[in-house]
Amino acid sequence: MTNDNKTILLVDDDIDFITAQKLQLERAGFKVIMAESQKKAEETLMTMRPDLAIVDLMLEYKDSGFALCHHIKKKDPTIPVILVTGVTSDTGLEFDAATQEERSWVKANAMLIKPVRFEQLLWEIEQLLQ
Amino acid sequence: MNLNIEVNGKTIQAKSGETVLTALRRAAIQVPTLCYMEDLLPTGACRMCVVEVEGQRNLIPSCAYPVADGMKIKTHSPRVIRARKTVVELLLANHPDDCLYCVRNRNCELQKLAESLGVRERRYTGEKSEHKIDSSSPSIVRDPAKCILCGRCVRVCEEVQGVSAIDFTKRGSKTVVGPAFNEGLNVSSCINCGQCVMVCPTGALREQSYLKEVINALKDPNKYVVVQHAPAVSVTLAEEFGLKPGTDVCGTMTAALRSLGFKRVFDTSFTADLTIMEEASELVHRIKNGGKLPMFTSCSPGWVKFVEEFYPDMLEHVSSCKSPQQMMGAIIKSYFAQKEGIEPGKIFSVSIMPCTAKKFECQRPEMLDNGIPDVDAVLTTRELARILRMRGIELGALAPEGADTPFGERSTAGKLFGATGGVMEAALRTAHFMITGQEMDSMKIQALRGLGGTKISHVKVGPLELGVAVVSGLLNARKLLDDIRAGRKDIHFIEVMTCPGGCIAGGGQPLGTNLDAVRSRMQALYKIDREEPVRTSHTNKWIERLYKEFLGEPLGHKSHELLHTHYAKREAVI
Repeated sequence: MTNDNKTILLVDDDIDFITAQKLQLERAGFKVIMAESQKKAEETLMTMRPDLAIVDLMLEYKDSGFALCHHIKKKDPTIPVILVTGVTSDTGLEFDAATQEERSWVKANAMLIKPVRFEQLLWEIEQLLQ
Repeated sequence: MNLNIEVNGKTIQAKSGETVLTALRRAAIQVPTLCYMEDLLPTGACRMCVVEVEGQRNLIPSCAYPVADGMKIKTHSPRVIRARKTVVELLLANHPDDCLYCVRNRNCELQKLAESLGVRERRYTGEKSEHKIDSSSPSIVRDPAKCILCGRCVRVCEEVQGVSAIDFTKRGSKTVVGPAFNEGLNVSSCINCGQCVMVCPTGALREQSYLKEVINALKDPNKYVVVQHAPAVSVTLAEEFGLKPGTDVCGTMTAALRSLGFKRVFDTSFTADLTIMEEASELVHRIKNGGKLPMFTSCSPGWVKFVEEFYPDMLEHVSSCKSPQQMMGAIIKSYFAQKEGIEPGKIFSVSIMPCTAKKFECQRPEMLDNGIPDVDAVLTTRELARILRMRGIELGALAPEGADTPFGERSTAGKLFGATGGVMEAALRTAHFMITGQEMDSMKIQALRGLGGTKISHVKVGPLELGVAVVSGLLNARKLLDDIRAGRKDIHFIEVMTCPGGCIAGGGQPLGTNLDAVRSRMQALYKIDREEPVRTSHTNKWIERLYKEFLGEPLGHKSHELLHTHYAKREAVI
C-alpha cells in the first residue's frame, strides 16, 4: 500500500512520543501534522481534513481525547480515529474499542494501550486506511 | 550413594546430594511449594516447603536443603503447618482479594493453599498494592498487584528462555517484578511466549484475551467468521474438560466450533503441510544454490522475535516461510474467499493456538495484505475452553465432525508440528523426496523424537549427509546459535521451538499441567502419525490440488506473495 499523500493528525501532549512517532510515520511515507493539545488539534481541523487521526486521551483535561474524537467524528464520520491511552492502567477504568458498540461511544475506530510499538500503530493505520 | 532418612516415623531411601524435597516427592509425600521449579536450582525464597528436622532449631526449606543419613523429618507437624499457614496469611495481607473476578479463580495456587491450610480469617492487614495493570502487550497482561514475588516467571524467562525481559526491581516491601524502568511489556524484549503465564501461581500474569472480539464478530451478520485450530490443540483441549491427557478430540472440537457459530472450521495442520512444501523447497534451494546455511525454521513467533532482537546478524538464516497459522490466514482470505465469492474484508479469521506469541504474530504489519490482516484474532486453548464452558457446550456430548474442505485433509506430517522435532521430521520426509525422488526408508526419525531440549543428528538424504538439530526452549537455541557464530559448520537445518517440548507445552495451554501430560500429548501426535495412511506433506492430494488450482509451485510467485515474509532487526530497548 502506498502511503504517499496520506495525512495523519497526531495529537499528544507527550512531545517525545509524538516526535518519535512522527519521524517513523514520515519514514513510512505519511505526511504528519502534530498537535500538543485538544485546542490546537481543533484549530488544525478548521483548516484541513486528515486521512486519519491518532489521539491521546488525556490532554489538557483528563477527557480531552474523548471530546476531540467526538468533534472529529462530528465533523466527518469517515475520518478513522485511533485512541492511544494509558488511562485504563492508570485509573483501573476498563474500556475498549473492540466492539461496534464500544467504538460508537468512544468515537474511535481502534484503541491502543500505551506504551505502543510503532509497528502496532502501523498495523492499525494500514487496516483503517484500506 | 543411598541413604536412609526417617520421615514422619517411616524410613525412606534418599540419594546422597539430593534435596529433602526431591526425596520426599519420590516417596509420594506431599509438601506444598510456591517458588520451587523442577529442574532449576532452588531459591528457597517462599518458605512454603519448610519441614521440621530433629536437631535443627529452625524449620528448614526442604527444596534447598540436602539430605543426610539418619535425618529425622516431620513434614506436617503442628509447627510446620502453622509456619506454612502464616506464610500464606502474609501473602494474602496485601492481595487484591478479587478471586471471583480473577481469571485464575479455582485454578490458583495461592487460593488452593489458603483453602488447604484452613485460612478463614484475616490475621494480617497490609497496605493494598497500588500497582497498575500492564495490558499494553498483545499477548500477555501483567497485574503486579496479584504477584506474590515467587520469582518463577523471572526464572523461566532467564533460565529457560534466555530472554530476561522481567526481573525483580525496587527493594523490600516495594519489590515488584516487571520489565526494566517500569515500562510496559509491549516495548520490552519479551518474546510473548507465555511461559511466565504457565508458571505463575496466581493471576499476576495471564494471556491477553480476544474473546470479546471473537464473540462480537460471531454475532455480527456482516462478518463471515471462520476458525482454524493448531495441531497441538486437539490433543490438549480434553484436559480442560477432565478427560485423560493425550485424548485427541479433533472431531468433537470441530463440532463444538461449529456449534459456536463458526461458518468454517479449518485444520492448521493442512497449512503445516503447505509450510513443509515451501520450507523443504527453500532448504533444497539453499543447498543446491549455496544459500545461507544452516537454515532455521520460522513457525514459532517467539523464536522469530528472539532472533530479531538478539541475533539480527543471523536473520538471513531464518526461513522466509510464514508460520502455518499465517499461511492458513492468507489462503483463507485469498483462495477460499475467491472460491466462495466472499469479499476478503468481510471474513473474520480466528485462530485457536496453544500459544500466546501467535497473538503478537498476527499483528505484525508484514502479515497484512492490502490492509487486511491474514488472521484477525488468536485465542489460546484456554480461551477456547472458556468460551465452550460459557456457551454450555460439552465436548463429550457432541458427535465428531470433519474439518472443512477445501482444506480438509492434512497429512500426519502436518500434525507432528505440535511437538518438538515434528517440523524437522516432516520437512526431512519431503526434502528427502525432493532431493532423491524416493521416500525415506523409515518415516520415523527416532533421534529427533522425545522431550530433549537439544537433539542433534545426521541424516542421509541421497548423496548428502544433512546435519540436523532440534531445539526447544530458547536458552538451548542461544547456546546453539553461539556455537554457530563461533564457526560450527556440521549442522545444515535447525528446528527451533520457543517453548520447551514445542507447541504441546505452549504458553496458551492448560495451566497447572505437568510433564506427564505433555508427554501424553506428544504420544497422541505420534500415534496419529503411526496409524494414518498419508504421512508426508508432498503426498497430500489436497496440497497438490492447491498448488495446481491456485499457487502454482512451491517458491513460485504466488507463494512468495502470500506465504513468505521478511524479518528485520528489532531494537530491544529494554
